[in-house]
Amino acid sequence: MNRRDFFKIVGTSAGAVAAAGCGQAPERILPHVIPPDNLVPGVPAWFSTVCRECPAGCGVIARNREGRVVKLEGNPDHPVNGGTLCIRGQAALQGLYNPDRLRGPIQRDTSGERSIKWEEAEKFLAERLADLVKQGRGKRIVVVGQLESGSLGRLMDAWAGALGAERLTYEPFNYEAIRHASRLVFGRDAIPHYALEDANAILSFGADFLETWLSPVQYARAFTRMHAFRDGKAGTFIHVEPRLSLTAANADEWVRNVPGTEGPLALAILKVILDEGIQAPGVDVALLRAAAKSADLEAAARQSGVGSETIKHLARAFAKAKPGLAIGGGVAATGADAVECQVAIHLLNYATGNTGRTVRFGPDSAFGKASPHAGMVALTQAMARGEVEVLLLNHANPLFTLPPKLGFADALKKVPLVVSFSNQPDETTERAHLVLPDTHPLESWGDFSPREGVVGLMQPTMGHVVDSTGRVFDSKAVGDVLLSVGRQVLPAPAGKGPFRWQTFAEYLKDQWRGIAREYSPATPFDQFWEEALRRGGIWKPVGAVPVQARGAPLSGKPATVEGDAQGLALLAYPSHRFYDGRGANIPWLQEAPDTMTQVSWDSWVEVPAETAKKLGLRGGDLVRVASPHGAVELPAYISDSLHPGAVAIPIGQGHTAERLRYAKDRGANPIALLSGQAAPAGLPFLSVKVTLTRTGGRRPLAIAQATHDQDDREIAQHVGLAAARELELRGAVPEKASHPSMYPDLKYPEYRWGMAIDLDACVGCQACVIACKAENNVPVVGKEQVAYGRDMHWLRVERWQEGKPAHPENLFLPMLCQHCGIAPCEPVCPVFAAYHTEEGLNAQIYNRCVGTRYCNNNCPYHVRRFNWWDYSSPTSRSYAFPEPLPLQLNPDVTVRQLGVMEKCTFCVQRIIAAKDAARDEKRPVRDGEIVTACQQTCPTQAIVFGNLKDMSSRVAKLSRSARGYHVLEELGTRPAITYLKKVTREPHKG
Amino acid sequence: MNQEAARQPTYADVNRDVIRTLEPPSPMYFGWMSVVGLILTAGILAWTYQIYMGMGAAGKRTPQMWAMYITSFVFWIGIGHAGTLISAILYLFRARWRTSIFRGAEAMTVFAVMTAGLFPLIHAGRMWFAYWLLPYPNQRYLWPNFRSPLVWDVFAISTYLTISVVFFFVGLLPDIAAIRDASTGWKKKIYGALALGWEGTDRQWRHYRRAYGLFASLATPLVLSVHSVVSWDFAMALVPGWHSTLFAPFFVNGAIFSGFAMVLVLIIPMRYFWNLYPYITDKHLDAMGKLILVTSLVLTYFYVCEAFTAWYSGDHFERASLFWKATKSYAWAFWLQYVCNSLAPLVLFSKRARTHTPTLYVVSILVLIGMWFERFNIIVPGLGHDFYPYTWGIYWPTVTDTTIVIGSFAWFFILFLGFIKVMPSVSIVEVKETLPHPVKEAHH
Repeated sequence: MNRRDFFKIVGTSAGAVAAAGCGQAPERILPHVIPPDNLVPGVPAWFSTVCRECPAGCGVIARNREGRVVKLEGNPDHPVNGGTLCIRGQAALQGLYNPDRLRGPIQRDTSGERSIKWEEAEKFLAERLADLVKQGRGKRIVVVGQLESGSLGRLMDAWAGALGAERLTYEPFNYEAIRHASRLVFGRDAIPHYALEDANAILSFGADFLETWLSPVQYARAFTRMHAFRDGKAGTFIHVEPRLSLTAANADEWVRNVPGTEGPLALAILKVILDEGIQAPGVDVALLRAAAKSADLEAAARQSGVGSETIKHLARAFAKAKPGLAIGGGVAATGADAVECQVAIHLLNYATGNTGRTVRFGPDSAFGKASPHAGMVALTQAMARGEVEVLLLNHANPLFTLPPKLGFADALKKVPLVVSFSNQPDETTERAHLVLPDTHPLESWGDFSPREGVVGLMQPTMGHVVDSTGRVFDSKAVGDVLLSVGRQVLPAPAGKGPFRWQTFAEYLKDQWRGIAREYSPATPFDQFWEEALRRGGIWKPVGAVPVQARGAPLSGKPATVEGDAQGLALLAYPSHRFYDGRGANIPWLQEAPDTMTQVSWDSWVEVPAETAKKLGLRGGDLVRVASPHGAVELPAYISDSLHPGAVAIPIGQGHTAERLRYAKDRGANPIALLSGQAAPAGLPFLSVKVTLTRTGGRRPLAIAQATHDQDDREIAQHVGLAAARELELRGAVPEKASHPSMYPDLKYPEYRWGMAIDLDACVGCQACVIACKAENNVPVVGKEQVAYGRDMHWLRVERWQEGKPAHPENLFLPMLCQHCGIAPCEPVCPVFAAYHTEEGLNAQIYNRCVGTRYCNNNCPYHVRRFNWWDYSSPTSRSYAFPEPLPLQLNPDVTVRQLGVMEKCTFCVQRIIAAKDAARDEKRPVRDGEIVTACQQTCPTQAIVFGNLKDMSSRVAKLSRSARGYHVLEELGTRPAITYLKKVTREPHKG
Repeated sequence: MNQEAARQPTYADVNRDVIRTLEPPSPMYFGWMSVVGLILTAGILAWTYQIYMGMGAAGKRTPQMWAMYITSFVFWIGIGHAGTLISAILYLFRARWRTSIFRGAEAMTVFAVMTAGLFPLIHAGRMWFAYWLLPYPNQRYLWPNFRSPLVWDVFAISTYLTISVVFFFVGLLPDIAAIRDASTGWKKKIYGALALGWEGTDRQWRHYRRAYGLFASLATPLVLSVHSVVSWDFAMALVPGWHSTLFAPFFVNGAIFSGFAMVLVLIIPMRYFWNLYPYITDKHLDAMGKLILVTSLVLTYFYVCEAFTAWYSGDHFERASLFWKATKSYAWAFWLQYVCNSLAPLVLFSKRARTHTPTLYVVSILVLIGMWFERFNIIVPGLGHDFYPYTWGIYWPTVTDTTIVIGSFAWFFILFLGFIKVMPSVSIVEVKETLPHPVKEAHH
């Protein structure tokens, strides 16, 4: 980019934002904090919106620099995520600037595909729709879309209503079982709000609430509050799951059960509670007894492989928590018995008095609005019968997320007109006759309500993506298209009719008049609207509605799993990184390792060690996994901890669409192994047994971590709960005299920057890894390079395990440059490229670096990253930023060139910005004013940054904590990062 | 092959035999030259590719930020030790057997250091900025970091190269004059210029002797210092298995050991092809064999010390590192080092082996292989299993870095082969000194 191009972009985009969305809408968009007068070059503006990477609906503020969004952060005011974001939220930017994103509308027919103009496309669609509507065959139009719990959803409903069309809300993970169970037990067709933070003990039946379940960021925050030693409560978390998931790895007690036995287990626990009379006072014991009639402790113990003593102990631990919280989800919640399982869990909560306290109906989750899986099955059948003439898909990719056995692909061929609003060239969009690419959520107007009482407002955080050649993506908001097409189908005089709004933004604002009346009737609307835009939405507390439990018949039988009796139960689980597969074409997510396995880029089948031994499998050997419904081939990942009766495959990889350059042909999609028939609990992800055969081929996985065994090096440390309490009372041992140094102690005249990382709070979610990548322009290097130890992550989340391999204690450790006081990297650099600043940073001067790499040899932590290939120049084969990804690059951070070393800078650009601001106001930097990217996004706030010289700063206090230690302290490097030991709960006897 | 050694050559024989090596080369010589030249070309191409693409073309990674290039660098620096040792130290100790081999050894030294000097350049991620390691005045007031052992290397090696070249050239002067006198035409002009007006007067001889002695005394401490400094590249670092006070003598001894082996590898074929049996006799080989044996025994002692201190220190990292080297992925290289460096030279206890050229030759080659792998074992497996288990890993060489390393051997041999044809590879002057005077009766 030359200077001329730069000004062109700055000019056009600044103008675009100032004029609010470049012809998209004549509305003003308002930044979060700073007045929108003008964009000042070099000064970021923040715009609030909502993350739409999953239906959790976290609030986001987007950092806009010179007219382009360069970083996403959580909206600190938002009640769901409180300023933090997960890995997928951080990576949403690469959806906006994705090089594979569709450039404009496409029409496809037998003669091939061609780009068309928007007017043409809309006219084409409107004519077809008008024909059908005129003939009274509006029912043959079906709108299928992702969960839209705000104005767009209402517009779609209205649009479908006006045309007489059918409408389905399709979410591959829709937690139907909870809804059904709520209806059965409490007579309320809803998914309740779970207040994890208020529980003293959590008993989870497979709910992966730290990964994907319902609202992972919210739950990670809540979990920390109930669980972290730091926050005083130090509650207990028990997790029942056949697989050691990331959530299971964070449990104080992980109970490994036979797949599909969560229901009988929950019921057996209920029975123990009743038998021992430890239920909460005032509950309807007769009702519970009737429900638990079929429960049999011994049978449940036998079926589940969990000892009856353990079941009793779980029951007692749970009952005495007051309140506790039982939750069910994940794969376990989708077996044939999933509804029974959820009923038993509801009853457990009822029996121990948690209903209304930690399980609250009232602020119901938006997930309750998703259509049941049966709706998709019925749609497929209708399509196959030729009853659907126009299918409109709004961000739905059923060809990837529905089992092929269901026949959606064939049924789709019978639909004369398939329209996709997706802006990614996914599997279904690839087959659509008309592709009308939607704007990215970050450039769209909209709103989203993740639960009652919370409505997040979305505004374009930037104008259209433009580069020196002009607008990159010719996309149009789906709401605008619906309104425009609707007007063409059902013409009405201006300002009248069901589609009287010119743009979706107008419709949205109109809708918000209603919201304003509900939330803040006294405020003038314009003021309310401005405030909502700045705040990122509107929220109010919603009181829980009292519910009365009813009896429900329970069989107490485990889920049936079809397939070869000798086979292993398939656990097809949602990927923490790709969700249902929608994140797979984001290179950051591909390169971030899965925390438990540390695999990146590929997919794998997790094979229990016993089976691997039987088949003679090594890690990376290709395995054919066959079920009665299909087969996939994947490299094996040998697991010591997985239940011997199960194999596990993450969902999200295995894309086949041609134009997904990062996702195509990576791994396989385990959904292909499922039958897809509707069960009471929706699509049963746990429903088949599979057989494994070794194919003889090999495809080694890219695993960043060489070993999970610390080899007695005490890199990640832990301390028992009782010992931690004692330590807290006694205080820290005064620091021992460190190793003598030949050089005088360093003086830090003003600041010494340091960090404290609480391993007790870290859940290993990897959000910090992506936040760091986004903030610091870290290149993506690809599978081969990661596999060969050349990944460029400045920050990595390590998983260490101790104890029995089948049932290990897991410790997560974010490792980044330790900014040592006596840094081994500094003296060995021959040219002072690595040097120590007066503020205690180990600075790296990229343009002074000669590339001897001595510094990384000498760094005991190996956190320095070398530019082995030319990642930064567009002519290079290894170029890491294909257009328009460079628009995401943080202008405050250098993009490093070939042959230089780079590493964590403690976000020095943020330090400088804060120091500049402080200098302007003639004061020192305040504690908490500088927030590093990793710290900012951490859902559990495990990372604290600040000035170690200021003894009253948070970081200084934490660094003096009795739980504090330095990694490899004995080397005398005097790191600026203090880790706080994880607090482990003493194992229960019995 | 040693039957001819019995006859004592005369002064005239010496002139004739040595200058004969400078005659127009045979087709076989050209054959060798072209083979070596081709390999060198491949090496240069590989290096060009690496500069263009980036260091990723070499098989390095985290944690092996250093690998074959630094291995070869240390190896070649080591080779460069024997020459100075033979010419300077043995000169000062008046070991007369050195006379027929020191010239070859000195040439070897200069070329080995020239080869070694390439590797820091090849190794650097941005070799075009390697000059930043030199302390040159600049307007940015930037100096190299004098705490970095790499900067010490720059000084140690450049000093050593300078002294070696000067010493080598001074020793050559009388011989160049002899060639000048025997040649005609343009050759006479070039040699004439190089001879710096040497006429063999008493005065010149007196100055020559004094200068030679001074250079020898100057070069002697360098023999010890250069490789000590190179060893500090490792000893000054934290890496387990590197951070050891043992390294300086360990490296110096290893250098001398491998240097002698390289001298044998070079002079045995030379003696064969140019029929230099009267000058390079079995007595010389025997003496070299003995030195190799002694240095091998000392080296074995260091090996034992290295393992012992790793164990006795009780340091978990040291122990784990050593155990891993000896038993895991790189165990083959680890044990190969002992077989080549500690076991193979033991045959030299037998005089028959020391004078049996093929045996000696094989042992020398083994020693060279062993010494290359000794440095490899310090660097590659040493880094592969250091403090941080997360990043442990195995290094795989690539076509590029292998070609460059092999190319470096070609570079060395092309220099040496060229030298043989333009300069006397046996010192005419000093060989004559060891011969009985052509006069009937001796004066003193």
